[in-house]
Amino acid sequence: MKGRKNKKENKLYWRRLDNSAKIFPIAAGRKYSTVFRLSAVLKEKVEPKMLYQAVNLALEQYKSFKVRMKAGFFWYYLEYNPKNVVVEEEKDYPCKYIEPRTNNNYLFKVTYFENKINIDIFHSLTDGNSGSMFFKEIVYNYLELIHKDELKEERSTRKIVENNTEDSYMKNYDKKAKGNSSSKKAYVLKGKKIGFSAISTIHEIIDLEELKQESRRYEATITQYLTAVLIYSIYEANYKKYKYKGKKPIKVCIPVNLKKYFPSKTMSNFFSYITLEAEMKKDNLITFDKIIEFVKEDFKKRLQEEEIIKTMSANVKLGNNFAIKIVPLAIKKLLVRLSYIEIRKYTTITYSNIGRIGIIGKYKDYIDYFLMLIAPEPVEKIKCSSCTFENKMVFTFTSILKDNSIEKFFYEFLKDKKINVEIESNGVLDDISKETK
Amino acid sequence: MIYPKKLSSKKGDLIFKTFLISSVILGLLLVIINKLTMPEVPWAALSNAGIIYIWITVFYSIKKNTNIAGHVMIQAIAISFLTVFIDYKLGFQKWSINISIPIIIIIANATMLILTIVSHKKFIKYAIYQLIIVLFSMIPVILISENIIENKVLSIVASSISILNLILTFFLCAKDVKAAIIRKFHI
Repeated sequence: MKGRKNKKENKLYWRRLDNSAKIFPIAAGRKYSTVFRLSAVLKEKVEPKMLYQAVNLALEQYKSFKVRMKAGFFWYYLEYNPKNVVVEEEKDYPCKYIEPRTNNNYLFKVTYFENKINIDIFHSLTDGNSGSMFFKEIVYNYLELIHKDELKEERSTRKIVENNTEDSYMKNYDKKAKGNSSSKKAYVLKGKKIGFSAISTIHEIIDLEELKQESRRYEATITQYLTAVLIYSIYEANYKKYKYKGKKPIKVCIPVNLKKYFPSKTMSNFFSYITLEAEMKKDNLITFDKIIEFVKEDFKKRLQEEEIIKTMSANVKLGNNFAIKIVPLAIKKLLVRLSYIEIRKYTTITYSNIGRIGIIGKYKDYIDYFLMLIAPEPVEKIKCSSCTFENKMVFTFTSILKDNSIEKFFYEFLKDKKINVEIESNGVLDDISKETK
Repeated sequence: MIYPKKLSSKKGDLIFKTFLISSVILGLLLVIINKLTMPEVPWAALSNAGIIYIWITVFYSIKKNTNIAGHVMIQAIAISFLTVFIDYKLGFQKWSINISIPIIIIIANATMLILTIVSHKKFIKYAIYQLIIVLFSMIPVILISENIIENKVLSIVASSISILNLILTFFLCAKDVKAAIIRKFHI
């Protein structure tokens, strides 16, 4: 009887998309997937059957992920997905558009290759922070199934998850806050594209301690330091290389986890972003020292709580606008897709650092490192992301550019600073991995 | 090594584009051959209509994550257009609107009724297609009012069946319909 009741409740379960998530299905397509990937590189080969079980166990805990996307008349929404989850061997490039019909309509896709477990997540479902919680649950479950005896006691120490899917944007935004948008278009990375829908992935596995020491020398945080290295790499290996004569700034978009600013336990999206604007010519940012000073200053200015609230509130107000709400979805799609071509020109590159992936107890012994990847797109041709596990920080470039000079420059810069860096790649642009091994 | 050696981005796109270009070339070739050999009989236009019909069916089947009711709807509409086109090209004796379309509407509605009875719990998935089929089924009524149709009985029967079908399915699934309206129309 109880089972039947649960079945009925599941069948009726649906929820609105949160304020950030609303835009993604409207704008997303094959070229603009809005998918991010988390991977765990284990110290042993992955067993597919156990992984499938692990994903199902995780879905029992994280019910908010057992959903599919449906189109309403005005907005998309999420509803209970009765189908089985799909777990496959990795065959495609990372962060590709998740085709619903090949994935039983799930908004995330779990794949594996050798020692690696991947999860590709469509951003409408959740953000990197909550996505990593769900992914960790899969990894924990998997390791428990494989190493039953060794991890028997560890299981009891794990936290119980709250299935909270509130729209924390609606709860926390300031109705009176005014927007702080910049009107300047950004420098767009130059160079030929790879073609055949291929995505190059280059992971720079950095020694965390050495990186920390180097950042401290500049009195910068790791994110600030790596952002400065990234801007400098773009400047030297793209901006100068292609003899850019315009005045557009290099703009770096950095997602911000809003859970650090507001009390929220939601598993839905709850992030905002800041955009650094490096005026290379106007501010004469031609050396690394000048760039890092600028980055530190700009971070300080833009990471103030009022600034974060302003940006978040402006976006919420836009989604809450009654005139926008009542436009039929089909027309919204058309308008958003047209305007997104322009909107994307306001960012040169995105760098998302989800920070430390905290793994408890003995589970750590079976994991080598974690990876995070974000999908590049036709205008923002390179996207960067990083995450940390133990003493390994993995900085990842996902790119659709044939020219990998930025990745090379970034690597060589860190090496010059005597920081130990190893390279892993998916082989699309093979020369960088050959040269650096 | 953390990635497979040969990653592919679905060769499907390339195959799809190749077939599409081949179809366009084939269509043009047929028109040229038709013009050069038998210009008095427009067989190339009929063949090209067939090619377009096949593409609509293939495209819809590949691209859309559609349930069976969606296929019923698209086939009903596509075949109707195809028959009208063929009729028009062969001198427009109106057999398409007098006989073909009403029969297609009756078959589509009968199929929808069977679908609803067999699995009325899934009716919500079919609702939007059912509604479009009903709207499409009103075409004979418009044609009657404009005095274009000669055989009125068959057309009236077809349109009436369609309305009855809609009423019946709404009665069967009233609760689900209400829930679906709330979901589908939330702002």
